[in-house]
Amino acid sequence: MSCTNNNPAARRYCKRLAVTLLIYALSLVLAIGIFLRCHPTGILAYALAVLPALPLIGLLAIFGLYLAEEKDEFQRFIGVQSMLWGIGGTLAVTTVWGFLESFVHIRHLNPSLDSVIFWIFVGISIPLLLARYR
Amino acid sequence: MVCSIKSPAQRRYMIRMWIMVALCVLLSVVAALVFRLCHPHDPHGVLSYLVAVLPALPVIGALIYTGVYLAEEKDEFQRYLLVQSLLGGTGGILAVLTAWGNMEDIANAPHMDLIYVYPLFWIFAGISNVIVKVKYR
Repeated sequence: MSCTNNNPAARRYCKRLAVTLLIYALSLVLAIGIFLRCHPTGILAYALAVLPALPLIGLLAIFGLYLAEEKDEFQRFIGVQSMLWGIGGTLAVTTVWGFLESFVHIRHLNPSLDSVIFWIFVGISIPLLLARYR
Repeated sequence: MVCSIKSPAQRRYMIRMWIMVALCVLLSVVAALVFRLCHPHDPHGVLSYLVAVLPALPVIGALIYTGVYLAEEKDEFQRYLLVQSLLGGTGGILAVLTAWGNMEDIANAPHMDLIYVYPLFWIFAGISNVIVKVKYR
């Protein structure tokens, strides 16, 4: 999938991705700014903390939209396969880390990093899958 | 329960998953006993890390066998159903983890034990499996 090619679904995905990442940056700055100035507590604090997570969840939704809109069956297949490798890798890393945390008390891994790990695995698996099916 | 499954690939998958579940429980008990009874002198030594990782190996095995099942299943519709469920599970678990992680970071929410991520993923995959099945009934 490339943002510069003639594929309309891929182009729409890239636009949505750029907008979502911009919203993420803005919501993160907003949430941290409010926390530093107003020190909210209770439900308001939780709601504000979840605000920057929404665009990150949106990244998954727009990838799902891309898969639904993509006409090229091979590209869709690569997208689905890469997501499966992504979640497989993420669950493997998370489970190993979880047991190490429980038994050896290593540093706590923030759960929000799991989505970063997921996209790293997706990113690694796409060229490997393309090479495999070339 | 396993005998009533007609598809050979599904039967193999169920047997392998149950073996992985049994191994995970067994190795968790072994790891817990080793840490409780032996009190390793160096809690951050290589041996401690290896014992701690033991129960995670069957979980990784279960993930691999899910991939093996997808490769072995001849029925394209069944394969499609599982892939859709796994994608639903992926979306659900990553949404929860991202939201919880931000609450941990910004609002000082309690730490989520990462051991719960894997079962939580399958709960989401199970819910999406029901939804997908209802959709295609």
